[in-house]
Amino acid sequence: MTLLAPARPTVLPSTPPRRKRNKQWIGALYAAPTAFVVGMFFVVPLGLVVWMSLHHWPLLGAPTINAPENYAGLADDELLRSAVWFTLKYTVVVTVLLFVLSFGLALMVQHRRRGVGLLRTAFFLPAAVGFASASLLFLGLLSDEIGPVNRILESVGLLDGYVSWTSGSANTALGSAVVLVLWRFAGFNMLILLTGLQAIPLDVYEAARLDGATRFQIFRRITVPLMRPTIALVLTLMITGSLLAFDQFWILTRGGPDNSTTSLVMVIYREAFIELDLGSAAAISVALLGVLIVFNAIQLGVLRRRS
Amino acid sequence: MKRLLSGTVAATLLLALAACGDDKAASGEPATADSGAKLTLWTRAATESVSKAYAAAYNATHKNQVEVTAYPNEEYPAKLASAAGAKALPDLFASDVVFAPQYASQGLWLDITDKFNALPMKDKVAPAHVRNGTWKGKNYAVPHTIDMSVMLYNKDLFTKAGLDPEKPPTSLTEFAAAARAVDKLGGDINGTYFGGNCGGCNVFTLWPSVWAAGGDVMNAEGTASTIDSKEMADVFALYRKLYDEGVAAPASKDEAGPTWLGALQSGKIGIAPAPSAWLGIIEEKATFKVGIAPISGINGGESTFVGGDSIGIGATSKNAAQAWDFLAWTLGDEAQVEVVAKGKGVPTRTDLASNKYSSADPRIVAINNLMGKGKTPYAKNFNATYNDPQSPWNTAYRGALFGDAQKSLGDGATALTASLKK
Amino acid sequence: MSRKISAAALAVLFLFPLLWSAWASVRTPTGFGLENYRRLFTSDNGIRVEHVVNSLTVCALTVGGTLLVATLGGYAFGRFTFPGKNALFLLTLAILMVPYATILIALYVLLEWIGLQDSLIGLSLVLIMFQLPFSIFMMRNAFEAIPKELEESALIDGCTSFGALTRIMLHAVRPGLITVGLFAFLTSWSEFFAPLILLNSTSKFTVMLAVVNMRTASFGAIDYAALEAGVTFMAVPCLLLFLVLQRSYVQGFMSGALRG
Repeated sequence: MTLLAPARPTVLPSTPPRRKRNKQWIGALYAAPTAFVVGMFFVVPLGLVVWMSLHHWPLLGAPTINAPENYAGLADDELLRSAVWFTLKYTVVVTVLLFVLSFGLALMVQHRRRGVGLLRTAFFLPAAVGFASASLLFLGLLSDEIGPVNRILESVGLLDGYVSWTSGSANTALGSAVVLVLWRFAGFNMLILLTGLQAIPLDVYEAARLDGATRFQIFRRITVPLMRPTIALVLTLMITGSLLAFDQFWILTRGGPDNSTTSLVMVIYREAFIELDLGSAAAISVALLGVLIVFNAIQLGVLRRRS
Repeated sequence: MKRLLSGTVAATLLLALAACGDDKAASGEPATADSGAKLTLWTRAATESVSKAYAAAYNATHKNQVEVTAYPNEEYPAKLASAAGAKALPDLFASDVVFAPQYASQGLWLDITDKFNALPMKDKVAPAHVRNGTWKGKNYAVPHTIDMSVMLYNKDLFTKAGLDPEKPPTSLTEFAAAARAVDKLGGDINGTYFGGNCGGCNVFTLWPSVWAAGGDVMNAEGTASTIDSKEMADVFALYRKLYDEGVAAPASKDEAGPTWLGALQSGKIGIAPAPSAWLGIIEEKATFKVGIAPISGINGGESTFVGGDSIGIGATSKNAAQAWDFLAWTLGDEAQVEVVAKGKGVPTRTDLASNKYSSADPRIVAINNLMGKGKTPYAKNFNATYNDPQSPWNTAYRGALFGDAQKSLGDGATALTASLKK
Repeated sequence: MSRKISAAALAVLFLFPLLWSAWASVRTPTGFGLENYRRLFTSDNGIRVEHVVNSLTVCALTVGGTLLVATLGGYAFGRFTFPGKNALFLLTLAILMVPYATILIALYVLLEWIGLQDSLIGLSLVLIMFQLPFSIFMMRNAFEAIPKELEESALIDGCTSFGALTRIMLHAVRPGLITVGLFAFLTSWSEFFAPLILLNSTSKFTVMLAVVNMRTASFGAIDYAALEAGVTFMAVPCLLLFLVLQRSYVQGFMSGALRG
C-alpha cells in the first residue's frame, strides 16, 4: 500500500448486483460533503487561479487575456531563478536532516521502557504550537535583544561580540529556519514513523536474530523495506512542505540577507501583493503546482512498481 | 477594562444611531455629507493611534461614524491588494505616502480632484504629500500623518565626549566627527547606528543627505534611478567608513528595522538619523536628554524625507460624499491643531507649523518648519523597488555599504531603473 | 547509560524553547510579573475579549465541520466503492500542493460571490478545506482498519449503513476522530494568513492577528517580551489539549491510521 493507492475493496463478493449498485450510491452520498467542500473551496478557486494566470489581471477593472505572457515572463525573472535554487537547496537540506532526526527519534522511543513516554511527549509537544507562533517564538529566541542563545554561547566562550542569527549571513539565516523546522516537525514525523515501526511483527525480528543477523543487517534488510510505505508518506509530506515553505522565512529572515533565503512562495507573495501583478503570481503558482503533481505522480509510480 | 467596556457600549449605541441615519437617507431625504453613515477606515498598525484619534474627534461632533481597523504593517499591502481584487475596499484607507502613486495608478482610490480643489486651504496642504497622491494630473489622496527624518542625538553623551550639546553638527562631515568623538568614550557606547538591512530605513535617512547636497536619487517622474551619482556615493562612503571603523554599532549591518528604536532608546548611541516622531517616544522612557537636528549634506545644507501616510476614498465605497466629509475635516484647523498638534504630531498643513501646542517646545517648531525643505520621492513602483526586502535597492545599498561599492551603485542604478519602469 | 543521557539531553533541547518562552513572558526589567501580559491585552492593537470569542467560534465551527465532513468522507472512502472515488481522493490530497498565498486571493473573491466575506463562517469553511487532506486520509484508514465482521454484525441486525456508522463504527474510530479534531483545533486557533486576508473588521479578528500585530507594534519596533507573552498565550491551550488527549491521538496514529 502506498500513499495514493486505492483503498482495499470492501464490498463482499457475494453481494447481489442490485445491492452493490445501491451501496455505490450510498457511498457517493457519504462522500458528497467532501466533494462539495473540495469542489467549492478548492477546485473553483484553483480554476480562478489558472484563469488569472492567462490574463493581465488588474486589481480593479476588467482583465485582458495576455497568454502566454505571464508564463513567458517567468523565464527571465532573476529573483525567481535564485528562489528556485534556494528552495531546492532548502528542500534537500530540510528533508535529509528532518528525516534522519525523525527516524532517529522514532528508533529511540520505539520500545516501551521506563521514561520513553516522557521522551515521546517532549519530542512531540512542539507540534502543538502553531507554525506562525513557533516562528515568532524563534524570532525572540534567536534575537540579540531578548534571546538566550547568544548569552549562553558567550558564557561558554563560543561567541565573542554581536551575532545576528536570522540575518547575519546566508548560512546562519538558513540555519535558523532549518532549526525551527526541525524543532517544530521532528516529533510529528517521529510519530508517523513510529506507527510504521510498530506495525512490523516482532516474530520477523526474532527469526532474523535466530539466523544470526547483526543489528545493522536487521535494520537494512527488515526495518527499512517493511517501512517503505511509511517512509514514502513521510518523505512526500516533507518535500511538498519544503517546496511550499513560506512562514519560516517570512517571519524569521524576511528572505534575507541579500535575498539568500527568498523562497518560491515568497516570490509569489511579492508578485501578487507588492508588484500587484496577480497574473504572474498565478502563473508561478500554477507552474509550482504542476511540478508538485508531476513529482508526486512519479513517486507514486515508482513505489507502485516496487511493491 | 471598564473604559474598554463603556467604550464598546458607546460605540454600539452610536452604531445603532448610525443605522437609523442610514434608514432615513434611504427613505428619500437628500443625502448630505454628514448623513450618519457608518464609514470604515483601514490603516496600518504604525498609524493606528493617529487614525483613531482623528476618528474619535470626528465621531464626537458628527453624525457620520468612522470605524478604524488596523492591520499588521508588513501584511497591510497584501490585505489591501486582496480586498481590491475582491472589489471590497473600505470607505477610506490610508497607506504609506510613498506607496500612494501605486494605489492611485491602480485606481484603488476615487478621484477627488474637484473636491480637493474646492478646499480653501488646498495650497497649504503638505505639497509633497499631495503630489504623491496624484496620478496623471488627478488627485486621489490627501495627507493623513506626517513623519520626517531628522538627526537625534544624546546630549549627555555629547557632553561626556567634550562636544557642545547645544551645537549639533551642521554637515554630514561634522556628524561623522561627532559620532567618532562619542565612540571614543569606549565600552558599549557607539557613535552612531543605522538600519543596514532595511530598505525603507535607508531611503528615509540617507536620501535627505543627497538632496541637501543638491543631488537626487531619481528623475522627477520616478522612472529612472540616479543612485550612481557622486552625491549618493559620498553618503554611502561616509556611512561605510563609520561602520568599518566600528563607530557605527556592529548591529547596524543586520538591522532590518525592528530593533532600531530599541537601540536608540538604550542611551548607548551618540547621534543617528531617525524618524522625528521618535523624539517623544524616546524621551518618555529615557534617562538622558535628547537633542534634534536636521539631516545635512556632506558639506552642509539641510533636508528631510517627508514621510507618513496618505489617505483616500476606497474606489468601491458607497459613501463617497460622507467619506470626503471626513477627509476634508481632517485637513481643517480644528483637527490639525486639537488632534495632531496636541498629540505631538506634525500638522499636515504648512501654515500650522507653529501653533499653540508646538510653541511650548522650540524643537517641535523646528521639526515642523523642516517640512518646506524636504521631499517626498515619487515613483509608481516604489514598494517593490525600495521598501520590500527583495527589492533591487536592498541589493544595491548592501553592496555600497558592505560590499563592492562602485559596482553595486552602477549595477544598482540599472536594476532600479528596470524595476521603476515596470 | 550514555544513551539515556543523550536522550534526556535531546528531550531538554526540545522543551527548552517552550520553557524559555514562558519564562521570557513573565520576565520584566525589574524581575518577574505579568506586565508583558498586561501590554498584550491593553495596548492599542492588543488582544481583546471579542478576539478570544471569535477565535473560539472559528475553532468550534472548524472542528465541528471537519469532524462531520471527514467522518462521512472517511466512511465513504474506507468502506464503499463509488464512481469517481479515486479521483476525489487524489483531488483532496492535492490541496496540500497549492501555495497558500495565491489561492487565498481566489478564495477571497469566491467568498464575496457567495456572501461570506468578512464572516467567521466563511473563514471556517476555508479552514475546513485546508484540514481535509490530513483528516480524510486519517479517517479513511481508521475506517478501513475496522474488521469486516463488526460492520456485518450491525448490518445483519437490520441497521442501515448510517445506523452502523453511528452505533458501531464511530466508537471504533474514536481515536482517529480525536486526532482529527485536535489538529483542526490547533490549525484554526493559530492560523494567521487566512484570517488576515479573509476578515475585514476589527470586531471579527482572531487572537492570532493581534499577536502578530505585536511584532510591529510601534514604528516597527518589536516588543519582544509582549510577543513572547502572546506566543505563550497561544500555545498554552494547545499544549494542555495535547497533553490531556495524548493517549487518544497516539492511539489514533498507531491504530494504523497513518500507515500510508
